[in-house]
Amino acid sequence: MFGDNTTSNPMLAERSQYAIHQDPEIGQLKAALLKDIQRSVFVYRVDCGGCNGCEIEIFAALTPLFDVERFGIKVVSSPRHADVLVFTGSMTRSMRVPALRAYHAAPDPKICVAYGACGCSGGIFHDLYCVWGGADKVVPVDVYIPGCPPTPAATIYGFAMALGILSQKLKAVHHVQSENEHVLPRHPEIPLILRVEIEREARRMAGYWHGKRIAETFFGLIKGDSQPIEQTVRAYLEQEDDPRLTEIVTRLESIYHAYHGAR
Amino acid sequence: MVIGNETKPKIGQSYVEAVRARFGNSILDETWQAPDQVTLTVSLNCLPDVVEMLYYEQGGWLASVAVNDERPLNGQFAIYYILSVEGNGDEAPPAEKAYVVVHAQIPPHQPEFPAVTPKVPAAIWYEREARDMFGLQPIGLPDQRRLVLPDDWPDNLYPLRKDAMDYRFRPEPTTENETYDFIQVEGEGIVQVPLGPLHITSDEPGHFRLYVDGEHIVDADYRLFYVHRGMEKLAESRMSYDQVTFLADRICGICGYAHNVAYSTSVERALGIEVPERAQFIRTILLEVERLHSHLLNLGLACHFVGFDTGFMQFFRVREKAMKMAELLTGSRKTYGVNLIGGVRRDILKEQRLTTLKLLGELRQEVTTLVNMLLETPHIVQRTQNIGLLEAQVARDYSPVGPTLRGSGFARDIRVIHPYCAYDRVPWTVIAKEGCDVLSRTLIRAEEFFESVSMVERCLDAMPDGPVLTEGFTYKPFQFALGYVEAPRGEDIHWSMLGDNQKIYRWKCRASSYNNWPSLRYMLRGNTISDAPLIVASIDPCYSCTERVTVIDVRKKKATIVPYKEMERYCIERKDSPLK
Repeated sequence: MFGDNTTSNPMLAERSQYAIHQDPEIGQLKAALLKDIQRSVFVYRVDCGGCNGCEIEIFAALTPLFDVERFGIKVVSSPRHADVLVFTGSMTRSMRVPALRAYHAAPDPKICVAYGACGCSGGIFHDLYCVWGGADKVVPVDVYIPGCPPTPAATIYGFAMALGILSQKLKAVHHVQSENEHVLPRHPEIPLILRVEIEREARRMAGYWHGKRIAETFFGLIKGDSQPIEQTVRAYLEQEDDPRLTEIVTRLESIYHAYHGAR
Repeated sequence: MVIGNETKPKIGQSYVEAVRARFGNSILDETWQAPDQVTLTVSLNCLPDVVEMLYYEQGGWLASVAVNDERPLNGQFAIYYILSVEGNGDEAPPAEKAYVVVHAQIPPHQPEFPAVTPKVPAAIWYEREARDMFGLQPIGLPDQRRLVLPDDWPDNLYPLRKDAMDYRFRPEPTTENETYDFIQVEGEGIVQVPLGPLHITSDEPGHFRLYVDGEHIVDADYRLFYVHRGMEKLAESRMSYDQVTFLADRICGICGYAHNVAYSTSVERALGIEVPERAQFIRTILLEVERLHSHLLNLGLACHFVGFDTGFMQFFRVREKAMKMAELLTGSRKTYGVNLIGGVRRDILKEQRLTTLKLLGELRQEVTTLVNMLLETPHIVQRTQNIGLLEAQVARDYSPVGPTLRGSGFARDIRVIHPYCAYDRVPWTVIAKEGCDVLSRTLIRAEEFFESVSMVERCLDAMPDGPVLTEGFTYKPFQFALGYVEAPRGEDIHWSMLGDNQKIYRWKCRASSYNNWPSLRYMLRGNTISDAPLIVASIDPCYSCTERVTVIDVRKKKATIVPYKEMERYCIERKDSPLK
């Protein structure tokens, strides 16, 4: 809709001209800082316009079950004491200046963390009129911790990554589609109409997540042709002993019989 | 515009008749959105009188005020004062309880309306917001400051007008300084204590100015809405009906699901969709699970603010069980994302049911121990009793909600007054206290916690069979209705009007804290400065909920030097004046 003129269009203009550019010298200092502070990290939270979800999960990370203080990570009450600034929430128009003040108040070198989907990119609010986008539109960000909100476990992982406590151990596999490779339809032996009917009923009865699992299990049951389907299903339901599951699977079964009966 | 349920008896007819008897010809129209929801169109001039009569004579509470730009439909702006009318409590048999919406049209060539605030103080924030977002001038409202929009937002640009701007339009920043001017109060013995916008007492940004004489707070002023992003505009510009449920989850990170249910029910009610029974029960269970974690959070923070950090840590340790329960039932710890228009997206099977019941048992036991520990710690009671008093009359004038109101002696809970979901099918009791102080509000949360535990158990036992989702309905343009939920902090009210392009036309969501903030200054006055964070936390404020809209506040800076006497006089005036 806006084509090439995104830079001249005030609605979509990049706000990077308001971002702070970092001195390369500070980059070197930061590397030295990371080496030194590994087990004594002072963190200051800056809420730039979040929904509170991120703050609550940070609280959860601080408290006994997850307890980040065992890694030496401590939340402090002033940016003057901070090594790490955590920016949560999409950067709102009103919070830009306070966030910058907090940034300038923290001594150099400092590490900036963009926390949560909104902190990383602006999230669901990314293009709104009172929002500047993610924290990186205003301050230089070193670490991104995604999630809406990130769980306390993800928070600890993110900090560990940022501080070099944990070296990355992901084994990425990249799949390239070969020439004759196609995605196969699921359950080609079950007529499409029946499959759609069953999946729809399962979703209506149990919702997306449970519904899909129940429908898949049911397809597995009706595929085995060693004995009549009634027996297979009854044996399965007796084993599960869940009245709600019985209700749902019985409905699926009646759809199956109606389909075969009509044919 | 009568939608569905025509055969059911109408609740609230007596209020309509009372208004008609008094105002007669000024009542232009009467439409019923649901058996207990009526919208009365009145002439603009008698708007304040009708609202005042319903509020004070018929026992009304101001639930919300929705402003709508209906120029594309009928050439007029519209303003809807939404009142929950409940009688004065002395009727026999008990008065019927209904939502009466007072609606007036405002001509676009003269965008102003008579302010209701001088008669009903509870309308103060809503009318400031109407000016910010729609450019409608409340005549007779003395407070000329912006409420929602940032200070450097351009004048005469009203984001929610349909023809104002694209939702992505971002005016250039005009200044690197914050231009909001608080009242400058100087004088012998008066010290200003700024708190925020970034502070540690609450998580979220909000700027407080406390005016203190020695240790005592003489008055308070606050500038909120740092977190205004513009959700209502987003909902009507970029999102479909089902997508807005996920946006509603993100209104608030703590009580997002309550907003989600309020939004969904408002759309369902506007369309007359019957939500399956089982989905109603699942919604009830999840709403109560959300209350469990929210109340534990607040109890923990109450400990923290009186310097009892052991209690804080203990409550948060136990709270993780509630979080685990949420994860088990919805797939996520926060932002559940479980609702769709017409039902829910996830069922509860045997495994989840049994694990939840086990966790509930553990929670009940552990929280009992903790609450006993809390109350047996003498300084908890000393620090919270008779602190942060919210007098019953102030509460009546400002329509606060939730534990804030119930702590001042009003047993008012939307779950009983306007039952929704499955609340009328499980037995439970409303908790109210007479103390008006921080202690009462804290105790209410503790007792409500146990009510919620029992309620979840009862719902899990009584879950009916059947589907969890209604499908195959079509959206009808320009129908509107209310959705309401008693969130942990009080009622959330959503007013939705459907559009003709698979998007919502206007979505007004009012979070519970929005009604609680204006009465906060009355709670702060007369206390010592060390109690301020405790008092703020006792309304369990939720900044982000409140700040979904835009308000501009250009406060006119007046005399910078005010003698102490002047300040005293000013305080007395402000105390006695219904305006602020």
